Amino acid sequence: MTEGHQDTLLVNEIKLGNTIAFEAMVLKYQPRLMSSLIGYTKSRDHSEELCQKTFIRVWQKIDTFRGDSALFTWIYRIAINLAKNDFASRQARTAKQTDSIDEAEHDIPQFTSPESTLIAEESAEQIFTFIQDLDQDIKTAFTLRESEGKTYEDIAIIMDCPIGTVRSRIFRARQLILEFMNQEDIYHG
Amino acid sequence: MDKLEQLSAAYDGELSSDELKSTLKDLSVSQEQKDTLHGFGIISDVMQRQPSKKTTSVTRLLDFIPASKPFLMNGLTAAATVLLTLSVIYFFEGNRFNADQESTMMLSSALGSEEAKQQLLNADQNIMEHMIHIMQSNDLHESQALSSSWIPVGYSSMQDKKNHFSNGKHHLYLHVEKENLGISKVRYLKANNHWVYLIPLKDGRLLTAYGDAPPIIAQSMIEKITRK
Repeated sequence: MTEGHQDTLLVNEIKLGNTIAFEAMVLKYQPRLMSSLIGYTKSRDHSEELCQKTFIRVWQKIDTFRGDSALFTWIYRIAINLAKNDFASRQARTAKQTDSIDEAEHDIPQFTSPESTLIAEESAEQIFTFIQDLDQDIKTAFTLRESEGKTYEDIAIIMDCPIGTVRSRIFRARQLILEFMNQEDIYHG
Repeated sequence: MDKLEQLSAAYDGELSSDELKSTLKDLSVSQEQKDTLHGFGIISDVMQRQPSKKTTSVTRLLDFIPASKPFLMNGLTAAATVLLTLSVIYFFEGNRFNADQESTMMLSSALGSEEAKQQLLNADQNIMEHMIHIMQSNDLHESQALSSSWIPVGYSSMQDKKNHFSNGKHHLYLHVEKENLGISKVRYLKANNHWVYLIPLKDGRLLTAYGDAPPIIAQSMIEKITRK
């Protein structure tokens, strides 16, 4: 499995109309999408609106996702196209968006849109520092996964340990980071 | 497997279809799991935002290794990779190889300068693979015959270890490659307490020396070889 195919099964479930799979995808990618959109629009409100529109569009168009790129790349492309169209529409001062979403024609799932949690740069610094102090094996497995996009199998080979150990180490890292974020009032999950 | 651990594996796309379905079923009725999954997403976002200077370059070197050659990675632990990525490649002319340069290099190595790291990251893939082979003394990477004149004075062959030499204090492994991998000047690299010397030979081949002999010790050997 390559990085680009990590969401294949999840996408298959969404294509079958599994709304929980769709919600899982939203929970997974909403933070990254929000960060990217804020970088693009410089407006939190506008980004939240675009984020919501993007995921609706993803639900509508998921059948056209062929897996040629990573899922997030595809989602991001939709978001940027929506943002561009939105910007053009605003510039033209027209009420009609050229790429508007016809919600009436689609059965949009009632997905839980998580409150957008934007981690401030200072908090991100704290998290980086915390990660640096993690146990070496936990940090290595986690970094290989998150920064390098390695599969569990690759990490197992690199670290010369069973895949189950890789899975536990990565989970442990996430668990510890979440505990730290909770303790430091950065995020309460 | 713990439910949240399974959720973490699902997040990474590392579950089978049945396991994923089961995880999604659990997720549908658990707000705690939804919050945790969102937390994982936030962590990924933070990691993606990590500026390059803070990125742990744990596997930059491994990016040079094709996935089709897993044997290359055997024995190369992540820890070793970290050390390797933090080490320094320097280029030098044989006749300017002196103790002062060694001190400078060691200092730079200790500081882990960005420039030095960048040199390593930009290094040619073939050289990286070659050095990994050397550091593993990989049997599949067989050396051409050595010339006895390359062996440093005071060093003798180690029993049952082909191409390994020792003077009782320092140890060196020598390897000859039929192509110089584009190396025209001597290069050396420090990896933890060991050194890799890449010495281009006049006949177009590449001699590699790997061991714990520091440059000040290896200097005479390199000068002797490059003079020939």
